[in-house]
This record gives sequence, structure tokens and C-alpha cells, in this order.
Amino acid sequence: MSHNHGDTIPLHPSSAQSDMDEIESLIYAAPSATVLPARPPSPPRASIPVSTSPAPLPAPAKPSLPGASVPIIVPQAPPASVSVPIASDGFGPPPNTLTEPVWDTVKRDLARIVSNLKLVVFPNPYREDPGKALRDWDLWGPFFFIVFLGLTLSWSASVKKSEVFAVAFAVLAAGAIILTLNVLLLGGHIIFFQSLSLLGYCLFPLDVGALVCMLKDNVILKIIVVTVTLAWSSWAAYPFMSAAVNPRRKALALYPVFLMYISVGFLIIAID
Amino acid sequence: MDRPQVVTENYANPVTCLFHVLFKAGALVFYILFSLFVKSFVIIFVITVFLAALDFWVVKNVSGRILVGMRWWNEIDDEGNSVWKFECLDGEALARMNKKDSWLFWWTLYLTAAAWIILGIFSLIRLEADYLLVVGVCLTLSLANIVGFTRCNKDAKKNIRGYFEGHAQNAITSRITSTLQSAFGVI
Repeated sequence: MSHNHGDTIPLHPSSAQSDMDEIESLIYAAPSATVLPARPPSPPRASIPVSTSPAPLPAPAKPSLPGASVPIIVPQAPPASVSVPIASDGFGPPPNTLTEPVWDTVKRDLARIVSNLKLVVFPNPYREDPGKALRDWDLWGPFFFIVFLGLTLSWSASVKKSEVFAVAFAVLAAGAIILTLNVLLLGGHIIFFQSLSLLGYCLFPLDVGALVCMLKDNVILKIIVVTVTLAWSSWAAYPFMSAAVNPRRKALALYPVFLMYISVGFLIIAID
Repeated sequence: MDRPQVVTENYANPVTCLFHVLFKAGALVFYILFSLFVKSFVIIFVITVFLAALDFWVVKNVSGRILVGMRWWNEIDDEGNSVWKFECLDGEALARMNKKDSWLFWWTLYLTAAAWIILGIFSLIRLEADYLLVVGVCLTLSLANIVGFTRCNKDAKKNIRGYFEGHAQNAITSRITSTLQSAFGVI
């Protein structure tokens, strides 16, 4: 079904001609075409072109909330159909994310990382419903924590720094993927990237522990610090992994997570 | 220097084009030169992967929407399902996009992925698992952007056709968003 209930806007004949020429050239030219079709030179344009037409829907747009947008699934739409216009403000009020300044994008992403870290590592009201905690998942925080842990371990190592870094990164990156697949294979309901994001954020306590152990050489102090941070990481990961699988299979999902964190803990203690 | 063209059309966003290419070239150059002359794997890994991640973010959030008017991201709805969103400007705005910007955008996207594949083959031939790790991360980031923007492009083309048809009827379509249930989302 297609709806064209837009306002009728009379266009100037010359601009209409120019627009139609542009449309034709854009339709028939492939995105990766190396030869531009010949056409009259066009006037200089604004850096971010935005349609200046009034909203096609006469009703006032409802206030948009993050995650409140209703996506329309258009499976195998007919080629000639015109999609229904719908406001899609995935993040906050208009102007939409396609035309916002770059600095707004940066600030929003940084705020999201900080928010996700707080939700995962510190007590939060969503602890009983962990799926809601990371609705706005990202992989920047986990990426930073994995690299930071690898760097800390390789700095602590006196020899074979490259091997230590590569092993730490590979164990953590592959470990998170394997743990998520393990939950999926157990028949659990989990979202792949959300799980990767959670397991990465849970590394934050171990990162702090590794940093402390790098600065102090006392073995007993190392054991105490690693034990505390290991318990903290496990505490942070527990509700999410346990809620994802059948209660009877909870142990099968949780044991590999603890095993990975214990391995990281041993790496932190052993490397000197 | 340039190939002679019938129409002389400059880049509409030269600064964005520069940053679009800068981080890609930086990651490739650092990886190649440092792996030849500097034998510290940790430095090579951190710098290369950092530049690749920076390139991924810039393409996904900045140059994608400025050069070709598209953006993509993932959300989790109220029922806990993963929803991939692909967003593009309306037909009129898309029709006004600069052709040269679009050309640069797509070609650099594909060439970067091809370059990492070639470097990965070299690492495989020399049996260097460490450097294969670097190439794997950078290639994953490149392919993610290619897949995301390819899906955006399908909607953009439909939007342009809709604008063309709507224009004939003096109607203008609005922004379009399509969704795709993630392959990893389990109901």
C-alpha cells in the first residue's frame, strides 16, 4: 500500500526541470559509478541539504522518546511503491540524527558509554530486569577495557610483551563471543551484541585491579585485590546471564563466565 | 591532475571527505610501515586498531550522513528484541547530494576492505597469528560499515524513486526508516 497524502506545493518550472534532471541522473547512475553523466553545472549547495517542505502529515507529531519510535517492517515491498512517511527520531527530539551537528553526536555517544558503565558495574534499579539496563548497548566501552587490560598486562610483563598482549586480547574478545554462543546454544534468550557489551563492561573492575597490581609488587596484596575485583566482575555479570537461560541450566551458563574472569585474574597475578 | 570531465563539480564537503579518507589511510599506512620497521607488536596493534575504530565511528556517524545522507544503528525495543534501523534523508534531499562525495564514499569503503583482505592473506602466508588479529579487527569494522550502508542504500534508492513519482504528482515523501530483525535476535 502506498499513501501520497502530501500537501500540494506548486514548484517553479525552472527548478522543477532542474530537479527532474538531477533525479534522473541519480536514479540511473550507480553509487560507485566512476564517470559522471554530462549535465549543466548546478549552483553551490548547503553542506547538509535538508528538505524544506512542510511535514506531510497534518496532525502534530507526537513527542518522540528514545526507543519509542515504531519501526515499520516492509518485507519485499513492490519496487514501485512509495513507503509511508514516518518520523524516526531514534535519539531524542528533533532535529533528527541525520542533520545534527557532529559535536552533539560525540556528546551523546560519550554519555551513553558512561551511562552503560554505571548500569552494569554499580547497583541500579534494573538489576532484576537486566535486559532493560543495556537497551542502548555499545561496544566502545568494552573495546577500550579490553585494550586497556591488554596494555596493563603487557606493561607489567618483563619479557614477551607482544605475546602477553595478543593472548590477553584474544582470550577476552574470543571469550566474550564464545560465552554468548554458549548461552544461545543452551536455548537462552539473549541478544548477541548486548551480551558482548555487558561482558565487556564487566571487565572494568578487573581493569582497576590490574592497574593496582601493576603499581604494587606485593604478591599478597595482588591476591587480595584480584579476589575483590574478580568477585565484583562476577557480581556484575550474574543477573544478566542467569536471567537469559532456563533456571535449570543456569549453572551451565554462569560457570564459563566465572572461568573466563578467573583466567584473567590468574593472568593479572602471574605476570610480573 | 584530475581526469578531464564534461562537468566540473567540486566536492561539496571537502573537510568531511578528508576525514573520511584520513583515518582509513592512517590505519593502513601505520600497519604496513610499522610492521616492516618497528617490531613492537603492542604499538602496532594499539595504533592501528585505534585508527580503525576511529574511522568506523566517523564513517558511521559523520561522513555517512553528510556525504550520502544515511545512517544506521541498532536498538532494543520494549519487548527485548534487537532491531536494526537504517535511516536516510527524504528523496528531495537525497537528490541534491553531491555525486563526487558519494563516489568517494563508496569507493574508499570497498577499497579499504579489499586492502585489509590482502594484508590478511599476507599475514596468513607468513604464519603470523598476531598480525592476523589486527587485520581481523580492522576487517570486521570495515565490513560492518559496508553492510550497514548497503542496506541504507537500498532504502535510499526506493526513496528517490518515490520522490520522482511523487514529484510528478506534486507530492514529497518524507524520511524513511526500515528495520530488520537481527540474525542474532532469538525470540
